[in-house]
Amino acid sequence: MASGMVRTRIWRDILAGCLLVAVLAIVPALIPARAFQDFVIRCSSMALFATSLNLLVGYTGLSSFGHGMFFGLGTYSFALLMQRTGVALPVAFLLTLLITAVTAVAVGAICIRLRLIYFAFVTLAMQMLLHSVVISWVGLTGGDQGLMGGIPRRSVLGVDLGLQYNLYVFSAVVLVAGLLLMRHIVNTAFGTSLRMIRDNEVRAAFLGIVVWRVKLTVFVLSAVFASVGGMVMSLFVSGAYPELINWPISGDAIFAIVMGGIGSFLGPAVGTMILLLLNDVVTRQTEYYGLALGLIILAFALGLRRGVLDFITERLGGRPAGGIS
Amino acid sequence: MLRIAGLTKRFGGLTAIGDVTLDFAAGTLTAIIGPNGAGKSTFFNLISGAIVPDSGQIVFQGEDITGLSRAAIVRRGIGRAFQVASFFPSMTVAENLQAAVAAHRGQWADLGRGFPRQGVRERALEVAEMLGLHDSAHVLSANLSHGDQKLLDIALGLALEPSMLLLDEPTAGMGPEERWNMIEKVQRLWRLQNLTLVFIEHDMDIVFGIASSIRVLCYGRVLAEGTPDEIRANPAVIEAYLGTPDPEDDA
Amino acid sequence: MDASALLDCVTTSSCLVTQTTSGLIVGMLLFLVAAGLTLIFGVLKIVNFAHGTFYMLGAYLAYTVFQITGSYWLGVLGGGLGMALFGVLFERFLIRRVYGANVLMQLLICYAVVLICDDLVKIVWGPDFRAMGMPPEFQVPPLFILGGVVPPFYLVLIAVSLLIGGGLGLTLGLTKIGKIVRAAAHNPDMVSALGINTTLLYSLVFAAGGALAGLAGGLAAPVRSLTPGMGFSILIESFIVTVIGGMGSIGGALIAAVVLGLIRSFGTIGFPQFTEGLMYIAMIIILVSKPSGLFGKEIV
Repeated sequence: MASGMVRTRIWRDILAGCLLVAVLAIVPALIPARAFQDFVIRCSSMALFATSLNLLVGYTGLSSFGHGMFFGLGTYSFALLMQRTGVALPVAFLLTLLITAVTAVAVGAICIRLRLIYFAFVTLAMQMLLHSVVISWVGLTGGDQGLMGGIPRRSVLGVDLGLQYNLYVFSAVVLVAGLLLMRHIVNTAFGTSLRMIRDNEVRAAFLGIVVWRVKLTVFVLSAVFASVGGMVMSLFVSGAYPELINWPISGDAIFAIVMGGIGSFLGPAVGTMILLLLNDVVTRQTEYYGLALGLIILAFALGLRRGVLDFITERLGGRPAGGIS
Repeated sequence: MLRIAGLTKRFGGLTAIGDVTLDFAAGTLTAIIGPNGAGKSTFFNLISGAIVPDSGQIVFQGEDITGLSRAAIVRRGIGRAFQVASFFPSMTVAENLQAAVAAHRGQWADLGRGFPRQGVRERALEVAEMLGLHDSAHVLSANLSHGDQKLLDIALGLALEPSMLLLDEPTAGMGPEERWNMIEKVQRLWRLQNLTLVFIEHDMDIVFGIASSIRVLCYGRVLAEGTPDEIRANPAVIEAYLGTPDPEDDA
Repeated sequence: MDASALLDCVTTSSCLVTQTTSGLIVGMLLFLVAAGLTLIFGVLKIVNFAHGTFYMLGAYLAYTVFQITGSYWLGVLGGGLGMALFGVLFERFLIRRVYGANVLMQLLICYAVVLICDDLVKIVWGPDFRAMGMPPEFQVPPLFILGGVVPPFYLVLIAVSLLIGGGLGLTLGLTKIGKIVRAAAHNPDMVSALGINTTLLYSLVFAAGGALAGLAGGLAAPVRSLTPGMGFSILIESFIVTVIGGMGSIGGALIAAVVLGLIRSFGTIGFPQFTEGLMYIAMIIILVSKPSGLFGKEIV
């Protein structure tokens, strides 16, 4: 009986995902605005990234301030592999995942034994270190200028991602696939182990859970999904730039998580949409973007004191998956 | 079942546990008593792998488990509950127990199948029933009463199907009536589940009422061991501990 | 990377003196900012991510007061007092609402304040950088110490920072209020149990933290160009300092700040492209070997 319910849940999620892709595929026929497609591509990239960070922050209680390092690593590895080697796009994709995973094992092994705020700052330091390397290793990364010159051989299974519409549908598919996979992860026994560690690490250890293994595993998994988000961004901007590995990238993801709702699976994705919409609307209205955004954040944060989706869930009488404190 | 030889743990200059040698026979219900600071909790922490001893040996069911990790010791069949109830506050009682059952079945790293897997839910309810928690199965554990939280903590330990269960002050912070309620449940558990049970307790009525054997710790050393009658008659215990008025009463 | 240049500098007394002085300036200013940060964290367990903004506003305030009065010291004082007030208001109206909330919620509030203040500075002082210039009383020929060129203002800066730091240390060590602050950092429950007005205490701590950052900003104004957003790099560096020194430890912050200042000034000679990278590496190495920083208590 139990596993039957689990299976229903999975099919329901997959159906919803397919529906989303189908709807998005049709929309440009009705609204042919290029800006909309750009928005969805950016949103896919950032939503994957923010959701991956929430595996750490919301589900495991590991507040990383430097998760952007894996997003940036994704953009740079992917762009470099495409520009400097002759490998096909899917191969570059997989190699980038591998590079990210290996880096994440090394970084994670150092960071996960630190507590709370120390973990947060060392992850940030790790990201800033990587950023410094990118800036100073001009020969490889182009330094301040970034990797210009575009992404060649943009084809996957015969589909040319050089065409805007194709990239748009591709990014939607990647987003849905990524979200489904992460959804699956949090719904497994491993996902339950994450929540146990977040709630009470000591108790989890005394139930036989090897805490460091769970933490390291989730650190690597979330890095890999962040890297996927980075690769989508790399295709969108046709290269890789230092801004994509700098600290505000991590800041954006944290912002999206807290705004959207730390305790809801889709909270970070919703938060990403809010952030990008604010970004686009506000920059069009005023040159004082920071002032306007800051006031909006304060209104949200002090008004709701929790993420939008958590707020809605609680209002509907539900219980969000994670506590706020 | 559990054999401890020459166990020693120092914190800085303070000897928390000094050269303790003790046996716990299978199927016994043993109380550990002793004044505050006697090293009782440290003793539990040493057995369960929370801290590593400076010297000495811990042998469980014929196997040397000294220095093993917490998780490794749990897998060998030693479960525990804490003085301050320890559980997963964002989960319901049922979810808490399902998580523990899944962990016990070695599924905690399973990324393949959905949670909970076949049989976990049923087993969790069984465990809840053993401690009378089945009526509050769907209550958020953070909202449980203090007594029920202590029961949940014990239930988590029990979900591991341990052969030995360590309970650190199961009645801490409870009123007199609640205490006996809890002790009744613990005693029934011990009888029905074929457990070796060791518990720390301050209430002498409880200790002498239910324990089949008693160990007295004082300043990190074993002061006495034996049946309740032997302990009652032991002059050293009377002088050091029972002779003075009850040194502390958490209630 | 240029290890030989670094070696040359270390073995030449003139270069050694020049770089050490500039390292000490960076370190002492960093210490003032970081001391406020670590004080606030120690007592309130709040990480004030807007602390760099206090520094920036302090510098701009000092600039304006200097423009009006022509007195550098009044400017510094204005920066310090202004930021003390700002700190109190910040705590009273924003931070107080998120005590006990998730650290990310606190981060978000502070981030909002950073964004708002950066834009306010743009509106009030303009988007381009401003230079205060050397105050007239310090427009004197530089001193030559062991062949190294040292402007007297640098020595004054170091001395004043030391005085402020010493004053802070004495206040914490000897006065009643200092004892309360230390007790609060050690055990918050005890302080409220003793009937001490924690609301007032928290305002006071934020006032002190703000004043320290504002003073640092004011002191630094003549030797830094003022730009909106100048708070960020000092924020990151003072975080590194507090984390290396151990969150909540003022002595640790002093040592870490001086070390970091020296790493920066000598790093620019040996590794001009990678000075920032060096600081991050230092922080990672120290935290890997001492997970709570040099003088930090284990935070569970």
